[in-house]
Amino acid sequence: MKLTRRSLLATGAGAAVVLATPFVARAQSLPRNIRMVIGSTSTGGDTYQNSSIVAEALAQKLGVNMRVDPVGTNEALNATGRDSRGTTIMLHHDQIYLSYLYGVPGVPDAFADFAIGPTVAINPGDCFLVPKKSRYQSMDDIFAAAAKGEKVRVAIQPGGVSEIGFTGMRNAARVRNPGSEANIVAVNTGSQADKNQAMWDDLADVINGSIQANEQFTQLPEDDRTAMRFVWITARPETLAQAPESGMGGTSREEMLKFASPQTSVTLDGSKDFTFDKEFFLVFNREMDAAMAAEIDAALKEIYAAGEIQKRQAKAFFIPNYLPQAEAKAHLTSKRDTVASIIEKLKG
Amino acid sequence: MELFGFVTPLFVLLIAGGTAIGIVFGVIPGLTATMAVAVCLPLTYSLGLENGLALLIGLYVGGISGGVVPAILIGIPGTPSSVATTFDGFQMARQGKGEQAMRIAIIGSLIGGLISLAALYLFTPWLADFAIRFSYVEKFLIILFALTVMGALSSDMLLGIFSGFLGIFVSLVGVYDVTDGGNGHFRLIPPGMEDILYGGFALLPVLIALFGLTTVLEEAEIGMPKGPSVKELESGGRSKFSWSIFRGQTLNLIRSSGIGTFVGILPGIGGSAASILAYTAAKTSSSHPETFGKGEPAGVIASETSNNALTGGALVPLLSLGIPGDSTTALLIGAFALQGIQVGPLFIGQHPNTWNSMIIAMLLANLVTFVMMYYAIRWFSLAVAIPKAILYPVILMMCVIGAYTINYGIMFDVWTLLFFGVLGWIGVKLGLEVAPFIIGFILGPSAEIYFVKSLESFGDFTIFFTKSWIAAFLWLLIAASIAVSVVIGRRRRAEKHAAG
Repeated sequence: MKLTRRSLLATGAGAAVVLATPFVARAQSLPRNIRMVIGSTSTGGDTYQNSSIVAEALAQKLGVNMRVDPVGTNEALNATGRDSRGTTIMLHHDQIYLSYLYGVPGVPDAFADFAIGPTVAINPGDCFLVPKKSRYQSMDDIFAAAAKGEKVRVAIQPGGVSEIGFTGMRNAARVRNPGSEANIVAVNTGSQADKNQAMWDDLADVINGSIQANEQFTQLPEDDRTAMRFVWITARPETLAQAPESGMGGTSREEMLKFASPQTSVTLDGSKDFTFDKEFFLVFNREMDAAMAAEIDAALKEIYAAGEIQKRQAKAFFIPNYLPQAEAKAHLTSKRDTVASIIEKLKG
Repeated sequence: MELFGFVTPLFVLLIAGGTAIGIVFGVIPGLTATMAVAVCLPLTYSLGLENGLALLIGLYVGGISGGVVPAILIGIPGTPSSVATTFDGFQMARQGKGEQAMRIAIIGSLIGGLISLAALYLFTPWLADFAIRFSYVEKFLIILFALTVMGALSSDMLLGIFSGFLGIFVSLVGVYDVTDGGNGHFRLIPPGMEDILYGGFALLPVLIALFGLTTVLEEAEIGMPKGPSVKELESGGRSKFSWSIFRGQTLNLIRSSGIGTFVGILPGIGGSAASILAYTAAKTSSSHPETFGKGEPAGVIASETSNNALTGGALVPLLSLGIPGDSTTALLIGAFALQGIQVGPLFIGQHPNTWNSMIIAMLLANLVTFVMMYYAIRWFSLAVAIPKAILYPVILMMCVIGAYTINYGIMFDVWTLLFFGVLGWIGVKLGLEVAPFIIGFILGPSAEIYFVKSLESFGDFTIFFTKSWIAAFLWLLIAASIAVSVVIGRRRRAEKHAAG
């Protein structure tokens, strides 16, 4: 093929059109390339899964390039804190303020140092499990054992969503039988694999897990050493009721509801139950132009109004939960304050 | 033939393309198989599960295999799992046997990959059941066994052990992360540097600094000798590959494949440990262990066979327990998550098509990698003819890019690269042994976690001896490895005395 001046000009013009296209569709104030950092280093977890869905929808709606970087909580906060131009935003969940409340070193107060953005989804899967052959068949059995003075070992990852369920459990033990909360003891582990292994090694009586990661183990026969049984799903019943009717794997929504409040009661104060939804939300640099945050918020509002993202989230067992920025901040602040008071009571 | 209905031209093309890209990532120092999979993970959305996995498996196998090229030719492990390949592979290259070493490595890789694939296909449920019998105690002892090679890898045993412990010490700088089951407290960080050193020093920048940048600085200091010309290389004046090298290596191949597969099925041990363990085992059982580290083909076979055997092994816990066996399979689980597929003990029974597609993809990826690498070796080996004044700046640039991208764009990783490169250059002058240092650095964090968790869980030190028959067996291996190191050390001392 002969390269003529005309063909070169045509190629150049074509390239210019292609390059210019994103500018045409792009939102007015947002940068062309946005990095969405997440507070997890895993690409197999719910945070990456959720952020991928949200980032793809936002990129399409705003006409910008958006990439998800799983850098971990500390680095994600650092990166977001450094960048007020709007090229770095963060997506994470309740761990961001729980770590601070639990006093994990080096974790800032996200509510003071960052701007809390809109919420996008809930993972209703946070749960607690026992070995299928365990003498504890239910949360009542666990509380009764603690009241009798038996040590109940609970495998958790400290300083986050995993620990808040444990805190709720200890708080319920305190309300039911003051002093018995001392018999519910934490076994600090790392990943879900470590928690499972702690159960199989008989180092833990109860483990924190997720419906998504552990459900298949609950379908195994009792004589299988890896078989597990749900004892508590921490999500609110209203949240769980929005999950697909078929539930997940071999566990239907109806069966899941048996392990959630009110059918499984982990009391908050003797009258109400303690529940906890793991909520995902955006976090912005505090100095970021409010117009940019508003633009992202407005885009999300339209995305959720269109209804397509809900289907993708439901397929991945997330409960869509868009709340505009102002509402999200009020809601999460109230949630944080409730949790803070429980943690405080248990300290005392 | 509905059973293999997923085997479409696109499926095969994705495996071949993935393998080729993976090899490129492996060949370039600083880029890894994990990175290749991370970059392409979002593509699995549009490709669908079977096709997406075909691409990712190609990248995984190709990436692990490609690491052999820089490890042998320039002494920089292309991926962390090629560390042990540098010990003998680079020495062989220096002796003009680079092409030979690479052919040995590629054949070992194919054998390791196929044996582990067979294990994955035939024994997954049993292997998973065996894997969960390894508690913190047994995992700590495996790491300890791998660490015993430190003394034997150095010209001076004491200096080697010191360097190894220094590596462990440096690896522990940073937070004792709660995601590892730690308490979130900072260790070994000077006051005021908590923000900078929060995550400690990342493995890859340290690795390429000590193997790459240190070498560049050393050669710059002494002046770069002219390498062989392409004509010289092509004239065949250098050692050629012969199948006879594999005579007497059957046991090494089987043992290294077994170690690679076995390490793969144990979540948390990591790919780098597989090649170090296989290398340690090969050296311990060799009738001439003193030749290891001086260009011994058995060392290259052990390392490369085991790190490719890891690929099948690491899929065992992923597909039977939903637990990834190494950092790359931890990314593969993302492909399932993005498609909303649960991975756990019922996965294989519930998704036979996906299971079969993964097995076929692994088989094809291993074969394609072998063919591509085997025929590309001739061209790769000519890289040593590139003048170092041109080659080294390019390597340096790739190292910097690799360090910057490994954790998705953290500038501190580039400073880590430069800092450890200079530190390594000075350290070597002071007698620091790089290989034991890096082994200590790689294995230190795992050793710490498993040691602390063993004591937290079981209460006292006796558990390391009384936990199980597996622990007793591991102690035997540790004792044998130490004994071999002592014998080698004595021989070296005697040789030095004899030489005057």
